[in-house]
Amino acid sequence: MQDMDISSPAAFVNGGLLRMHLGRKVRTVLQVTQSDIASVMGKSTDGYQLVAKGSPPVPLTSYVEVVGVAENENTIRAELWTNFGDTFDASSYDQLCQLANGEFKQLFL
Amino acid sequence: MQSNEFDGNAAFSGGGFMPSQATQTTPDRPSSASKNSDARCLLPLTVKQLVDLSRGGESDISIEGVDVNNIVLVGKVSKIDNAVSECTFRVDDGTGWVECTKWVHEHLDSVEVDAISVGMYVRVYGQLKSIHSRRTVHTFSIRPVTDYNEITNHFIECIYVHFYNTKMRGCINTQPGMTNSVSGMTAQPQVANSNFGDPGKGYSYEANQTSQYNNDEEQIRALSSMVLQYLRQPACIAFEMGVSSVVVARELNISVDKVRQTLDFLASEGLVYTTTDDYFKFTDA
Repeated sequence: MQDMDISSPAAFVNGGLLRMHLGRKVRTVLQVTQSDIASVMGKSTDGYQLVAKGSPPVPLTSYVEVVGVAENENTIRAELWTNFGDTFDASSYDQLCQLANGEFKQLFL
Repeated sequence: MQSNEFDGNAAFSGGGFMPSQATQTTPDRPSSASKNSDARCLLPLTVKQLVDLSRGGESDISIEGVDVNNIVLVGKVSKIDNAVSECTFRVDDGTGWVECTKWVHEHLDSVEVDAISVGMYVRVYGQLKSIHSRRTVHTFSIRPVTDYNEITNHFIECIYVHFYNTKMRGCINTQPGMTNSVSGMTAQPQVANSNFGDPGKGYSYEANQTSQYNNDEEQIRALSSMVLQYLRQPACIAFEMGVSSVVVARELNISVDKVRQTLDFLASEGLVYTTTDDYFKFTDA
């Protein structure tokens, strides 16, 4: 029986980094601009407009974390949603995305 | 990280996050000594780091099967197994998942575990244990995350501590006696390297990694200058074809492999060049 598993990591992405992980599992935080029953439109931590398809939690807070598969440059097919509240430091998260995809990628993926 | 002068050391020190000056020693000291010093550290880690570090052999986490480091993880609970005297949480932090087991002996323990539900983000303090080659995190404390900036913060701490530790070790591996300033701290590396400064033993293979690193560097330098000196001799320069590595090895009484390695290095530096396969000539003839 497996005790630990790193076979299916979710890459930290912002709008600009999403395209580097097409078809793979990603995670990001969006500031919700619009939401309906099947999707959420939000601003990524670096200012891109992204769409997360799936069933968001109700009610939805201003910030939501989405974990799912990157369908294309601006769409994520969401599997897990987590409300991140109404105050969130987007710029720190953005810098984390850059570090986690760059110099320190080996700690994450 | 709002202030321009964010002093990472001041911010992270004092909480047991960073190895204090007293515990900064070479990474390859005998394990009993490392156990004592490293046990005082609390390392923030990603599950990926945990897996990589506990893969057996040399590691920070587990030394000869004994787990000595306290770790912090932040992730989402994806599964809970509630037994009578223990509760096992599967914590997934996006880089991987690991099982964290908390023993429930007292009322306070059950209050703690009852507060956790699937889908919640949690912070786990514990120690990696290996029982019958099954690795779990023996959990001292598990509590829900309420401010989600904690997640960003945790991963940035993982990066910072990793960077700090590897940079420190990189500095320690250079010439002892050098004053290394890393992030404003001055560390006098205590290199347990009895062979340094003893030219007679300088070229021998050392089991101790630290001294081997020093000796490799010295060795490369020594070999390079020997080979170069040999090739600069008028007799060698006279050979239009150059000198074969086999001859160099024989004349200097060094293994052919080592000579070839050295010649490759010298060629990449531009100090020698190859005329034909395996024949070398000093460049500035």
